[in-house]
Amino acid sequence: MMSRATRYARYHQEQKLEISLFPFLSIFLCVMGVLSFINVLSSFSAPQKIELTAQLETGYKVAYQIFSLPDGIISVPPSKYLRKLQQAVDDVDKELIEVIIHHRESMIEKLESNKGSIMNAASDPDIDDVLDALHDIRTLNEIALKANYLYEEFILFGIYPNGGQAYQKVREIMALSQDARSISIGLEPLDSNWTLNLNKAPRNESDTQK
Amino acid sequence: MKELISLDSLTDIVSNSVGILIIFAVINLIHDNSKTYQLEIPLEHATDLSPVFFLCKDDRILSIDTDVLFSNATLQASSGAAASKRIFSLDYSGLFGKVDRDNGLSFYARETDQWSEFSDIDKRQSKLKKTMDSIDPTKQFAYFFVYDTSEDGAATASGFEAFRKAREYLKGHVVKSGWQPVNDDSPANICDRSLSPRCSYLPSYLGG
Repeated sequence: MMSRATRYARYHQEQKLEISLFPFLSIFLCVMGVLSFINVLSSFSAPQKIELTAQLETGYKVAYQIFSLPDGIISVPPSKYLRKLQQAVDDVDKELIEVIIHHRESMIEKLESNKGSIMNAASDPDIDDVLDALHDIRTLNEIALKANYLYEEFILFGIYPNGGQAYQKVREIMALSQDARSISIGLEPLDSNWTLNLNKAPRNESDTQK
Repeated sequence: MKELISLDSLTDIVSNSVGILIIFAVINLIHDNSKTYQLEIPLEHATDLSPVFFLCKDDRILSIDTDVLFSNATLQASSGAAASKRIFSLDYSGLFGKVDRDNGLSFYARETDQWSEFSDIDKRQSKLKKTMDSIDPTKQFAYFFVYDTSEDGAATASGFEAFRKAREYLKGHVVKSGWQPVNDDSPANICDRSLSPRCSYLPSYLGG
Protein backbone atom coordinates (compact mmCIF):
# COMPACT_ATOMS: atom_id res chain seq x y z
CA MET A 1 0.00 0.00 0.00
CA MET A 2 1.27 3.43 -0.98
CA SER A 3 1.10 6.10 1.57
CA ARG A 4 -1.00 9.18 0.98
CA ALA A 5 2.19 11.25 0.65
CA THR A 6 3.54 8.97 -2.13
CA ARG A 7 0.26 9.11 -4.09
CA TYR A 8 0.17 12.87 -3.80
CA ALA A 9 3.77 13.10 -4.95
CA ARG A 10 3.06 10.96 -8.08
CA TYR A 11 -0.06 12.96 -8.89
CA HIS A 12 1.89 16.16 -8.58
CA GLN A 13 4.63 14.75 -10.83
CA GLU A 14 2.08 13.77 -13.58
CA GLN A 15 0.66 17.26 -13.52
CA LYS A 16 4.07 18.68 -14.10
CA LEU A 17 4.62 16.47 -17.20
CA GLU A 18 1.40 17.57 -18.93
CA ILE A 19 2.18 18.98 -22.40
CA SER A 20 0.60 22.28 -23.31
CA LEU A 21 -1.48 21.81 -26.49
CA PHE A 22 -1.99 25.49 -27.10
CA PRO A 23 1.06 26.02 -29.40
CA PHE A 24 0.03 22.99 -31.48
CA LEU A 25 -3.48 24.30 -31.73
CA SER A 26 -2.22 27.68 -32.76
CA ILE A 27 -0.03 26.23 -35.52
CA PHE A 28 -2.84 23.96 -36.73
CA LEU A 29 -5.27 26.83 -36.91
CA CYS A 30 -2.78 28.89 -38.91
CA VAL A 31 -2.19 26.00 -41.35
CA MET A 32 -5.94 25.42 -41.60
CA GLY A 33 -6.54 29.07 -42.41
CA VAL A 34 -3.84 29.12 -45.10
CA LEU A 35 -5.06 25.88 -46.68
CA SER A 36 -8.68 27.02 -46.67
CA PHE A 37 -7.63 30.25 -48.33
CA ILE A 38 -5.63 28.38 -51.00
CA ASN A 39 -8.49 25.96 -51.66
CA VAL A 40 -11.08 28.72 -51.97
CA LEU A 41 -8.76 30.78 -54.15
CA SER A 42 -7.99 27.91 -56.50
CA SER A 43 -11.62 26.91 -56.87
CA PHE A 44 -12.77 30.46 -57.64
CA SER A 45 -9.95 32.15 -59.49
CA ALA A 46 -8.34 29.36 -61.47
CA PRO A 47 -9.70 29.56 -65.00
CA GLN A 48 -11.48 26.40 -65.98
CA LYS A 49 -9.76 24.88 -68.95
CA ILE A 50 -12.27 23.50 -71.40
CA GLU A 51 -11.26 21.55 -74.43
CA LEU A 52 -13.53 21.09 -77.39
CA THR A 53 -13.59 17.79 -79.20
CA ALA A 54 -13.03 17.48 -82.91
CA GLN A 55 -15.55 14.71 -83.39
CA LEU A 56 -19.10 15.58 -82.51
CA GLU A 57 -22.28 13.74 -83.30
CA THR A 58 -25.78 13.17 -82.06
CA GLY A 59 -27.44 10.05 -83.29
CA TYR A 60 -26.84 9.88 -87.02
CA LYS A 61 -26.16 13.62 -87.33
CA VAL A 62 -22.47 14.45 -87.47
CA ALA A 63 -21.08 17.97 -87.10
CA TYR A 64 -18.77 19.68 -89.54
CA GLN A 65 -17.40 22.21 -87.07
CA ILE A 66 -16.39 25.72 -88.04
CA PHE A 67 -14.81 27.76 -85.27
CA SER A 68 -15.15 31.45 -85.85
CA LEU A 69 -12.38 33.55 -84.29
CA PRO A 70 -11.32 37.19 -84.59
CA ASP A 71 -8.61 36.17 -87.08
CA GLY A 72 -10.85 34.00 -89.23
CA ILE A 73 -12.15 30.46 -89.14
CA ILE A 74 -10.89 26.96 -88.37
CA SER A 75 -12.73 24.18 -90.18
CA VAL A 76 -12.75 20.77 -88.51
CA PRO A 77 -14.39 18.24 -90.82
CA PRO A 78 -15.57 14.88 -89.50
CA SER A 79 -14.15 11.70 -91.00
CA LYS A 80 -14.76 9.04 -88.37
CA TYR A 81 -17.76 7.36 -89.97
CA LEU A 82 -16.94 7.92 -93.64
CA ARG A 83 -15.19 4.55 -94.05
CA LYS A 84 -18.30 2.78 -92.80
CA LEU A 85 -20.45 4.82 -95.16
CA GLN A 86 -18.07 3.95 -97.97
CA GLN A 87 -18.70 0.25 -97.40
CA ALA A 88 -22.44 0.72 -97.75
CA VAL A 89 -22.48 2.44 -101.16
CA ASP A 90 -21.82 1.54 -104.80
CA ASP A 91 -18.43 1.83 -106.54
CA VAL A 92 -19.01 5.27 -108.05
CA ASP A 93 -19.96 6.76 -104.70
CA LYS A 94 -17.08 4.89 -103.04
CA GLU A 95 -14.66 6.86 -105.19
CA LEU A 96 -16.40 10.14 -104.40
CA ILE A 97 -16.19 9.41 -100.68
CA GLU A 98 -12.53 8.42 -101.03
CA VAL A 99 -11.74 11.82 -102.54
CA ILE A 100 -13.59 13.57 -99.73
CA ILE A 101 -11.85 11.48 -97.05
CA HIS A 102 -8.46 12.24 -98.58
CA HIS A 103 -9.25 15.96 -98.68
CA ARG A 104 -10.47 16.00 -95.10
CA GLU A 105 -7.53 14.03 -93.76
CA SER A 106 -5.15 16.47 -95.38
CA MET A 107 -7.09 19.33 -93.74
CA ILE A 108 -6.73 17.72 -90.32
CA GLU A 109 -3.04 16.97 -90.92
CA LYS A 110 -2.51 20.60 -91.83
CA LEU A 111 -4.21 21.67 -88.60
CA GLU A 112 -2.20 19.20 -86.54
CA SER A 113 1.07 20.29 -88.11
CA ASN A 114 0.39 23.86 -87.07
CA LYS A 115 3.05 24.94 -84.58
CA GLY A 116 1.86 26.41 -81.32
CA SER A 117 -1.78 26.53 -80.32
CA ILE A 118 -4.26 25.24 -82.83
CA MET A 119 -6.30 28.35 -82.15
CA ASN A 120 -3.65 30.31 -84.05
CA ALA A 121 -4.46 28.36 -87.20
CA ALA A 122 -7.46 30.53 -88.04
CA SER A 123 -7.51 32.05 -91.50
CA ASP A 124 -9.83 34.30 -93.44
CA PRO A 125 -12.76 32.35 -94.86
CA ASP A 126 -11.89 31.51 -98.44
CA ILE A 127 -14.91 31.46 -100.75
CA ASP A 128 -13.75 28.40 -102.71
CA ASP A 129 -12.91 26.45 -99.55
CA VAL A 130 -16.32 27.17 -98.04
CA LEU A 131 -18.12 26.28 -101.26
CA ASP A 132 -16.10 23.04 -101.56
CA ALA A 133 -16.95 22.13 -97.98
CA LEU A 134 -20.65 22.76 -98.61
CA HIS A 135 -20.52 20.69 -101.77
CA ASP A 136 -18.81 17.80 -99.95
CA ILE A 137 -21.37 17.85 -97.15
CA ARG A 138 -24.26 17.85 -99.59
CA THR A 139 -22.68 15.06 -101.63
CA LEU A 140 -22.18 12.89 -98.55
CA ASN A 141 -25.71 13.52 -97.31
CA GLU A 142 -27.17 12.62 -100.70
CA ILE A 143 -25.03 9.49 -101.00
CA ALA A 144 -26.10 8.36 -97.53
CA LEU A 145 -29.75 9.04 -98.35
CA LYS A 146 -29.51 7.16 -101.63
CA ALA A 147 -27.92 4.17 -99.89
CA ASN A 148 -30.53 4.38 -97.14
CA TYR A 149 -27.66 4.74 -94.66
CA LEU A 150 -28.30 6.73 -91.49
CA TYR A 151 -25.75 9.50 -91.79
CA GLU A 152 -26.20 13.25 -92.10
CA GLU A 153 -23.67 16.01 -91.75
CA PHE A 154 -24.52 19.50 -90.61
CA ILE A 155 -22.51 22.64 -89.97
CA LEU A 156 -21.92 23.68 -86.40
CA PHE A 157 -20.45 27.12 -85.84
CA GLY A 158 -18.55 27.77 -82.63
CA ILE A 159 -18.47 31.53 -82.18
CA TYR A 160 -15.63 32.96 -80.10
CA PRO A 161 -15.65 36.55 -78.77
CA ASN A 162 -15.10 38.95 -81.68
CA GLY A 163 -15.60 36.03 -84.06
CA GLY A 164 -18.91 37.27 -85.43
CA GLN A 165 -17.32 38.98 -88.41
CA ALA A 166 -15.84 35.76 -89.80
CA TYR A 167 -19.14 33.96 -89.11
CA GLN A 168 -21.09 36.57 -91.04
CA LYS A 169 -18.70 36.20 -93.98
CA VAL A 170 -19.25 32.45 -94.09
CA ARG A 171 -23.02 32.92 -93.85
CA GLU A 172 -22.89 35.40 -96.75
CA ILE A 173 -21.09 32.81 -98.85
CA MET A 174 -23.60 30.18 -97.77
CA ALA A 175 -26.48 32.44 -98.77
CA LEU A 176 -25.18 32.30 -102.36
CA SER A 177 -24.77 28.53 -102.42
CA GLN A 178 -27.42 26.09 -103.57
CA ASP A 179 -25.63 23.33 -101.64
CA ALA A 180 -26.16 25.14 -98.34
CA ARG A 181 -29.94 25.14 -98.61
CA SER A 182 -30.27 21.49 -97.69
CA ILE A 183 -27.68 21.61 -94.89
CA SER A 184 -28.71 22.07 -91.27
CA ILE A 185 -26.89 24.74 -89.28
CA GLY A 186 -26.25 25.23 -85.60
CA LEU A 187 -24.28 27.80 -83.66
CA GLU A 188 -22.95 27.98 -80.15
CA PRO A 189 -21.19 30.80 -78.23
CA LEU A 190 -17.73 29.91 -76.91
CA ASP A 191 -15.42 31.65 -74.47
CA SER A 192 -11.85 32.48 -75.44
CA ASN A 193 -10.37 30.06 -72.88
CA TRP A 194 -12.14 27.11 -74.48
CA THR A 195 -9.55 25.50 -76.68
CA LEU A 196 -9.83 22.93 -79.41
CA ASN A 197 -8.07 19.61 -78.96
CA LEU A 198 -8.07 17.52 -82.12
CA ASN A 199 -6.91 14.33 -80.47
CA LYS A 200 -9.01 14.27 -77.35
CA ALA A 201 -12.25 12.36 -77.22
CA PRO A 202 -14.96 13.27 -74.72
CA ARG A 203 -14.61 11.31 -71.48
CA ASN A 204 -18.27 10.61 -71.06
CA GLU A 205 -21.64 12.11 -71.76
CA SER A 206 -22.15 13.56 -68.30
CA ASP A 207 -19.00 15.64 -68.13
CA THR A 208 -19.09 16.81 -71.68
CA GLN A 209 -22.57 18.17 -72.04
CA LYS A 210 -23.11 21.51 -70.44
CA MET B 1 -11.51 28.07 -16.57
CA LYS B 2 -8.74 25.71 -17.59
CA GLU B 3 -10.88 22.77 -16.63
CA LEU B 4 -13.87 24.02 -18.62
CA ILE B 5 -12.07 24.15 -21.99
CA SER B 6 -10.44 20.91 -22.96
CA LEU B 7 -7.76 21.52 -25.53
CA ASP B 8 -7.39 17.79 -26.21
CA SER B 9 -10.58 17.40 -28.20
CA LEU B 10 -10.21 20.79 -29.88
CA THR B 11 -6.70 19.91 -31.03
CA ASP B 12 -8.00 16.59 -32.28
CA ILE B 13 -10.75 18.23 -34.34
CA VAL B 14 -8.46 20.91 -35.75
CA SER B 15 -5.71 18.44 -36.65
CA ASN B 16 -8.26 16.27 -38.46
CA SER B 17 -9.55 19.32 -40.35
CA VAL B 18 -5.99 20.25 -41.33
CA GLY B 19 -5.45 16.73 -42.60
CA ILE B 20 -8.60 16.90 -44.73
CA LEU B 21 -7.62 20.31 -46.10
CA ILE B 22 -4.16 19.04 -47.00
CA ILE B 23 -5.80 16.20 -48.93
CA PHE B 24 -8.04 18.72 -50.75
CA ALA B 25 -5.07 20.94 -51.56
CA VAL B 26 -3.11 18.00 -52.96
CA ILE B 27 -6.11 16.89 -55.03
CA ASN B 28 -6.48 20.44 -56.35
CA LEU B 29 -2.83 20.57 -57.32
CA ILE B 30 -2.65 17.25 -59.10
CA HIS B 31 -6.13 17.33 -60.59
CA ASP B 32 -6.23 18.27 -64.26
CA ASN B 33 -9.01 20.80 -64.35
CA SER B 34 -9.37 20.71 -68.12
CA LYS B 35 -12.74 19.40 -69.12
CA THR B 36 -13.42 17.99 -72.50
CA TYR B 37 -16.43 19.79 -73.77
CA GLN B 38 -18.75 18.56 -76.40
CA LEU B 39 -20.78 21.35 -77.89
CA GLU B 40 -24.50 21.26 -77.62
CA ILE B 41 -26.16 20.33 -80.85
CA PRO B 42 -28.39 23.28 -81.59
CA LEU B 43 -29.88 23.06 -85.06
CA GLU B 44 -31.75 25.85 -86.75
CA HIS B 45 -35.10 24.59 -87.85
CA ALA B 46 -38.11 25.99 -89.62
CA THR B 47 -41.04 26.88 -87.41
CA ASP B 48 -44.48 28.46 -87.45
CA LEU B 49 -43.70 30.22 -84.18
CA SER B 50 -43.15 33.95 -84.29
CA PRO B 51 -39.95 35.47 -82.84
CA VAL B 52 -39.78 37.66 -79.75
CA PHE B 53 -36.56 39.64 -80.14
CA PHE B 54 -33.97 40.39 -77.48
CA LEU B 55 -30.63 42.18 -77.52
CA CYS B 56 -27.76 41.06 -75.27
CA LYS B 57 -24.86 43.37 -74.52
CA ASP B 58 -22.69 44.27 -71.50
CA ASP B 59 -24.26 41.42 -69.49
CA ARG B 60 -27.64 43.07 -69.97
CA ILE B 61 -30.71 42.07 -71.93
CA LEU B 62 -33.21 44.27 -73.72
CA SER B 63 -36.57 43.01 -74.86
CA ILE B 64 -37.44 44.56 -78.20
CA ASP B 65 -40.99 45.66 -78.84
CA THR B 66 -40.94 45.58 -82.62
CA ASP B 67 -44.18 47.58 -82.92
CA VAL B 68 -42.71 50.51 -81.00
CA LEU B 69 -39.33 50.16 -82.69
CA PHE B 70 -40.78 50.20 -86.19
CA SER B 71 -43.21 53.03 -85.48
CA ASN B 72 -40.28 55.10 -84.11
CA ALA B 73 -38.26 54.21 -87.19
CA THR B 74 -41.17 55.19 -89.44
CA LEU B 75 -41.31 58.61 -87.79
CA GLN B 76 -37.62 59.05 -88.46
CA ALA B 77 -37.98 57.76 -92.00
CA SER B 78 -40.41 60.53 -92.79
CA SER B 79 -38.01 63.11 -91.31
CA GLY B 80 -35.33 62.24 -93.82
CA ALA B 81 -32.65 60.72 -91.58
CA ALA B 82 -33.62 57.23 -92.61
CA ALA B 83 -33.95 58.09 -96.26
CA SER B 84 -30.37 59.30 -96.38
CA LYS B 85 -29.19 56.04 -94.71
CA ARG B 86 -27.88 57.97 -91.73
CA ILE B 87 -27.85 56.45 -88.27
CA PHE B 88 -30.63 57.99 -86.20
CA SER B 89 -31.93 57.67 -82.69
CA LEU B 90 -34.83 55.28 -82.28
CA ASP B 91 -35.86 56.74 -78.91
CA TYR B 92 -35.86 53.22 -77.57
CA SER B 93 -33.56 52.30 -74.67
CA GLY B 94 -30.46 53.84 -76.21
CA LEU B 95 -30.88 52.20 -79.60
CA PHE B 96 -29.85 53.84 -82.84
CA GLY B 97 -31.09 52.65 -86.20
CA LYS B 98 -30.47 52.67 -89.90
CA VAL B 99 -32.80 51.73 -92.70
CA ASP B 100 -31.77 50.30 -96.03
CA ARG B 101 -33.30 48.05 -98.61
CA ASP B 102 -31.06 45.00 -98.11
CA ASN B 103 -31.00 44.87 -94.33
CA GLY B 104 -34.34 46.42 -93.39
CA LEU B 105 -34.04 48.10 -90.00
CA SER B 106 -30.58 47.73 -88.48
CA PHE B 107 -30.10 48.80 -84.92
CA TYR B 108 -27.06 49.67 -82.87
CA ALA B 109 -26.89 49.51 -79.09
CA ARG B 110 -24.95 52.47 -77.74
CA GLU B 111 -26.11 52.85 -74.16
CA THR B 112 -27.22 49.88 -72.14
CA ASP B 113 -27.74 51.48 -68.73
CA GLN B 114 -31.52 51.24 -69.02
CA TRP B 115 -31.48 47.55 -69.90
CA SER B 116 -32.12 44.77 -67.41
CA GLU B 117 -29.14 42.94 -65.98
CA PHE B 118 -29.24 39.27 -66.83
CA SER B 119 -29.20 38.33 -63.16
CA ASP B 120 -32.63 40.00 -62.95
CA ILE B 121 -34.13 36.84 -64.49
CA ASP B 122 -33.95 35.29 -61.02
CA LYS B 123 -35.70 38.23 -59.37
CA ARG B 124 -39.38 37.63 -58.87
CA GLN B 125 -40.67 41.10 -59.74
CA SER B 126 -38.21 41.96 -62.51
CA LYS B 127 -39.44 43.30 -65.82
CA LEU B 128 -37.17 40.91 -67.70
CA LYS B 129 -38.58 37.87 -65.94
CA LYS B 130 -42.12 39.04 -66.66
CA THR B 131 -41.30 39.52 -70.34
CA MET B 132 -39.73 36.08 -70.60
CA ASP B 133 -42.58 34.47 -68.69
CA SER B 134 -45.07 36.09 -71.08
CA ILE B 135 -43.66 34.21 -74.07
CA ASP B 136 -46.20 31.65 -75.19
CA PRO B 137 -44.24 28.53 -76.24
CA THR B 138 -47.07 27.37 -78.48
CA LYS B 139 -46.98 30.58 -80.51
CA GLN B 140 -43.63 32.23 -79.94
CA PHE B 141 -39.92 31.63 -79.50
CA ALA B 142 -37.14 33.91 -78.28
CA TYR B 143 -34.56 35.23 -80.71
CA PHE B 144 -31.41 36.89 -79.38
CA PHE B 145 -29.06 39.32 -81.08
CA VAL B 146 -25.92 38.77 -79.03
CA TYR B 147 -22.98 41.19 -79.03
CA ASP B 148 -19.79 39.21 -79.57
CA THR B 149 -17.42 42.05 -78.73
CA SER B 150 -15.16 41.56 -75.73
CA GLU B 151 -13.00 43.90 -73.74
CA ASP B 152 -9.26 43.24 -73.55
CA GLY B 153 -8.54 40.34 -71.24
CA ALA B 154 -12.16 39.23 -70.94
CA ALA B 155 -12.67 35.54 -71.64
CA THR B 156 -16.25 35.93 -72.74
CA ALA B 157 -18.04 38.33 -75.05
CA SER B 158 -20.21 41.10 -73.68
CA GLY B 159 -23.46 39.35 -74.51
CA PHE B 160 -22.62 35.65 -74.29
CA GLU B 161 -23.11 35.17 -70.56
CA ALA B 162 -26.46 36.96 -70.58
CA PHE B 163 -27.59 34.90 -73.56
CA ARG B 164 -26.59 31.60 -71.94
CA LYS B 165 -28.46 32.51 -68.78
CA ALA B 166 -31.59 33.53 -70.69
CA ARG B 167 -31.41 30.42 -72.86
CA GLU B 168 -31.28 28.17 -69.81
CA TYR B 169 -34.17 30.03 -68.21
CA LEU B 170 -36.30 29.71 -71.33
CA LYS B 171 -35.37 26.06 -71.72
CA GLY B 172 -36.84 25.50 -68.27
CA HIS B 173 -40.04 27.13 -69.49
CA VAL B 174 -40.19 25.00 -72.66
CA VAL B 175 -39.55 28.04 -74.85
CA LYS B 176 -37.40 27.59 -77.95
CA SER B 177 -34.64 30.05 -78.65
CA GLY B 178 -32.31 31.07 -81.43
CA TRP B 179 -29.53 33.60 -81.76
CA GLN B 180 -26.95 35.27 -83.93
CA PRO B 181 -23.77 37.15 -83.06
CA VAL B 182 -23.81 40.87 -83.81
CA ASN B 183 -21.49 43.85 -83.44
CA ASP B 184 -21.23 47.37 -84.79
CA ASP B 185 -19.86 46.13 -88.13
CA SER B 186 -22.59 43.49 -88.48
CA PRO B 187 -25.45 45.06 -86.56
CA ALA B 188 -28.66 43.38 -85.50
CA ASN B 189 -31.32 43.82 -88.12
CA ILE B 190 -34.92 42.92 -88.69
CA CYS B 191 -36.00 42.56 -92.28
CA ASP B 192 -38.41 40.65 -94.43
CA ARG B 193 -37.37 37.23 -95.62
CA SER B 194 -38.48 38.07 -99.14
CA LEU B 195 -35.61 40.59 -99.30
CA SER B 196 -32.83 38.17 -98.47
CA PRO B 197 -32.40 34.59 -97.19
CA ARG B 198 -30.32 36.14 -94.38
CA CYS B 199 -33.50 37.75 -93.07
CA SER B 200 -34.65 34.59 -91.40
CA TYR B 201 -34.86 34.21 -87.64
CA LEU B 202 -35.02 30.60 -86.62
CA PRO B 203 -34.95 28.79 -83.30
CA SER B 204 -32.11 26.38 -82.74
CA TYR B 205 -32.35 25.45 -79.07
CA LEU B 206 -35.25 23.26 -78.15
CA GLY B 207 -37.22 24.30 -75.13
CA GLY B 208 -37.45 21.71 -72.36
